[in-house]
Amino acid sequence: MVNFELNGAHVSFEAPATMTLLDMLRVELGVTSVKKGCEQGECGACTVLIDGYPMTSCIILAPQVEGRHVCTIDGLAENPLMKELREAFMENGAVQCGFCTPGILLSAYALLRDNKRPSEEEVKTAIEGNICRCTGYVAIIESILDAAERIAPD
Amino acid sequence: MEYDRILSDLLNRDEYLVVGKKTVRLDALDKLLGKARFTSDYIPKNTMTVKVVRSTMPHALIKRVDTSTALMVPGVVTILTAKDVPGENEIGYALPEQPFLNDKKVHYVGDPIALVCAIDETTAQEAMEAVVVEYEPLPAVFDIDAALAEGAPIIHKENNVAVKTKIRKGDIAKGWKDSDVVVEDTYWSPYQEHMCLEPEAAYAVPDGVGKVTIIACMQSPHLVREKVARVLGWKLNQVRVIQALTGGAFGKKDDTGPLISGYAALAAIKTGKPAAYIMDRSEVLSVTPKRFPVRFKYRSGADGKGKLTAVEVEITLEVGAYANRAPFWLWRQTAHACGPYEVPNVAVDGRAVYTNKVYGGSYRGFGNLALHFAAEQQVDKLAYELDMDPVDFRMKNILRIGSRTTCDQLLDNSVGIDKCLAGVAAASDWAKHREPVRIGTKIRGWGVGCAYHGNSTSRSTPDWSAASLMIHGDGSLTYRTAICEIGQGSPFGHAKIVAEIIGCNLDSIKIEQPDTDSTPDSKPTHGSRGLMMGGTAAADAAIKLRERIIRVASNMLDCPEAHVELRDSQAYNRKKPSVKIPFAEIVEEMHIRGENPASYGFYTSPRRFFDVDTGLGYNYAVYTFAASVAEVEVDTETGQVEVTKIWPAMDVGKVIDPLMVDGQIHGAISQGIGFAIMENLQLKDGVVTTTGFKDYIIPSALDTPEIDDTIVVEEPYKHAAFGAKGVGEPSIISIVPAVVNAIHHATGLRFSTIPITPDRMHKALKEAGKK
Repeated sequence: MVNFELNGAHVSFEAPATMTLLDMLRVELGVTSVKKGCEQGECGACTVLIDGYPMTSCIILAPQVEGRHVCTIDGLAENPLMKELREAFMENGAVQCGFCTPGILLSAYALLRDNKRPSEEEVKTAIEGNICRCTGYVAIIESILDAAERIAPD
Repeated sequence: MEYDRILSDLLNRDEYLVVGKKTVRLDALDKLLGKARFTSDYIPKNTMTVKVVRSTMPHALIKRVDTSTALMVPGVVTILTAKDVPGENEIGYALPEQPFLNDKKVHYVGDPIALVCAIDETTAQEAMEAVVVEYEPLPAVFDIDAALAEGAPIIHKENNVAVKTKIRKGDIAKGWKDSDVVVEDTYWSPYQEHMCLEPEAAYAVPDGVGKVTIIACMQSPHLVREKVARVLGWKLNQVRVIQALTGGAFGKKDDTGPLISGYAALAAIKTGKPAAYIMDRSEVLSVTPKRFPVRFKYRSGADGKGKLTAVEVEITLEVGAYANRAPFWLWRQTAHACGPYEVPNVAVDGRAVYTNKVYGGSYRGFGNLALHFAAEQQVDKLAYELDMDPVDFRMKNILRIGSRTTCDQLLDNSVGIDKCLAGVAAASDWAKHREPVRIGTKIRGWGVGCAYHGNSTSRSTPDWSAASLMIHGDGSLTYRTAICEIGQGSPFGHAKIVAEIIGCNLDSIKIEQPDTDSTPDSKPTHGSRGLMMGGTAAADAAIKLRERIIRVASNMLDCPEAHVELRDSQAYNRKKPSVKIPFAEIVEEMHIRGENPASYGFYTSPRRFFDVDTGLGYNYAVYTFAASVAEVEVDTETGQVEVTKIWPAMDVGKVIDPLMVDGQIHGAISQGIGFAIMENLQLKDGVVTTTGFKDYIIPSALDTPEIDDTIVVEEPYKHAAFGAKGVGEPSIISIVPAVVNAIHHATGLRFSTIPITPDRMHKALKEAGKK
């Protein structure tokens, strides 16, 4: 039995030892905002926050989150920082197919939470593990810098 | 119909309401909240899993398929082979040589043989390994020369040539006589993997007797319906295909959509159970179609004044195990062979050659990316030979109104390549960058690339599109198109066209997901036709509905029709703007007066033609043009190439949304840079060995160059709504040549193949004694 917190709510789930966190979230708990892109820990589409830090849930086993806090984009719908990120992504046209979007938002959120005014290089580094094949990253990087500006204006 | 003028006359507005303006996409919020649903998000837990038993041999006869042991694995529902295919066992796109499930012969490692249906993934995997396939191996060929050699093993037909193409324009012998300089080279453009973030997924549900519903990622639900119905031996109306939001496609899912839907559908109707087929990343990389590899032998000439005189090209396209899109791909390369320049004397010969490798398929640029990689280096070389500036040389020869293309098509409208080229030259301070700059171990250089890309179908295949629009009692609207949302936002572009014509609020339109039971056949989302063709069908539907709204509104407002203005989902009298009627009231009145609140839009592209013997004719409806300048830095110690800046320009006809134009251009720059210097699909004995993101490296955020503001040229296409042309494919074509020409400028080295990896660069520098 794995006991952990998912988006602020306590979850107990009988997870087989070999089940990935990604499969537990998507298949067993119905959290489909977490995407399966590679199952190799390389594309970042399955990014979740574990105790606040972005991790790829496809290479973490479900029992490993015992006692941890797991956060997906669903848990941040009302979060003010996430709202700013969403606004910026919409206005800059940073959303295309949308498959990488939840993962990128979580990486961006973790960056801006800890670093109010990141440089462009810091933004690029923060989302380096999140592959996007549609946008060429330009609008995404601009959006994250924009959101930072909105939260902590000069 | 000359839509660009019809619409501006009809709307009679000083400024458009939404067309040409930045707007937030209607699908953005769902995607940002993680609520947008892709295929695998629809599949319930415990759905029967389908897995495909694939050939482990590159070329072999199938002697026996034994499923008896596999069927005994607990949890296996059934295993399907070719004998279970009720309809035609055929899934080829252009040529009928591709079995849906192979039972006689396999043509590459990955050819499908059987479908294992089981209660879960683990069981399916176990059963799959227990299926015994006995082969009689045949000699295999892994490159085009081996396939063309005398006595080569025959893959499908004698001499392994799937299809040939030809162009004869002017007098090539005279062309060489008129040439003062001639440059020759052979180029090789390799496979490229699309690397869509979403792996292929299909979900099929049996729906009573004689009907199946499919939800899958794809680019053309009606093509999927046609192919699946053929395999099942059913009528088109027995197969319902719904396109789920698709997580990247770039051409790939135009080819995989019918295959994966067929696997899930056959499993569902044979077992009577819902069935799910989901590929994993390594399966995507190993077995699904890639950008076709191709070899070009080029010979190009120019006279002393800098005018192109002759171009002769031999194209050898490697198609892999099946021709798939090759006839159209090869034709597109043939028809664009000179690049966006006027050349009086042209000879092109193309052939598409089978090998026992993963086959080629649709990919953004459809042949033109590779073609321009070669053609644009030829042009650059001629400029250097003549000691002319590469931009000036191009400008002397560039296509303009009144020019004739490679296949002698007269261009009489919508040609903006000269403005694109002049634009990027000015923006990048081209004239100031004529000498490479050394900075420590690095050398910085600048290169230019031009491109053109015919919109819509090749080979003069007739093209048309359809759309439907319905206004409801509260004034909200439902819009239906089978042009798929695959990331590019085309359907949203249609919605903007509708909103502009109807005068409704943009957010009052709901775009339905394509569903063959209710959505008209708009033809596929490919060929840069999604907005150009699909959007014009949307305009047709909107114009018809607008006429009825105006008729009723003029009566309700008691003013002539010409005085009615539609805006903000209300009708106004232009002369008395204080009087207005909301759409909801007009719709009620429409019903009472017998004015149909639904409309069907249909648009057919002008008839085209070409002569098979010479390849000449009116080949493409219209061309989109692009030019880019690239700045690169080459590290002479490590061989690492970094693309530091791109200046892009494109003649898009008319911008429907600048954010979407930029979105396509920025994404294409990244994919183009990936292809030019990073992405390196490896095969050994016909087996793909780079099977994931860790060994098939594509650009990350850290590989993003600085990108200058897009120079947008608007030379409207007279037959499309607002004059808009396709952007998605042309955006990538000029990037690769700009980068390779910049690398040459920096290093003096010409690369006849890509990617220009650090290894390759290091070796070339060493050989040239530049290190």
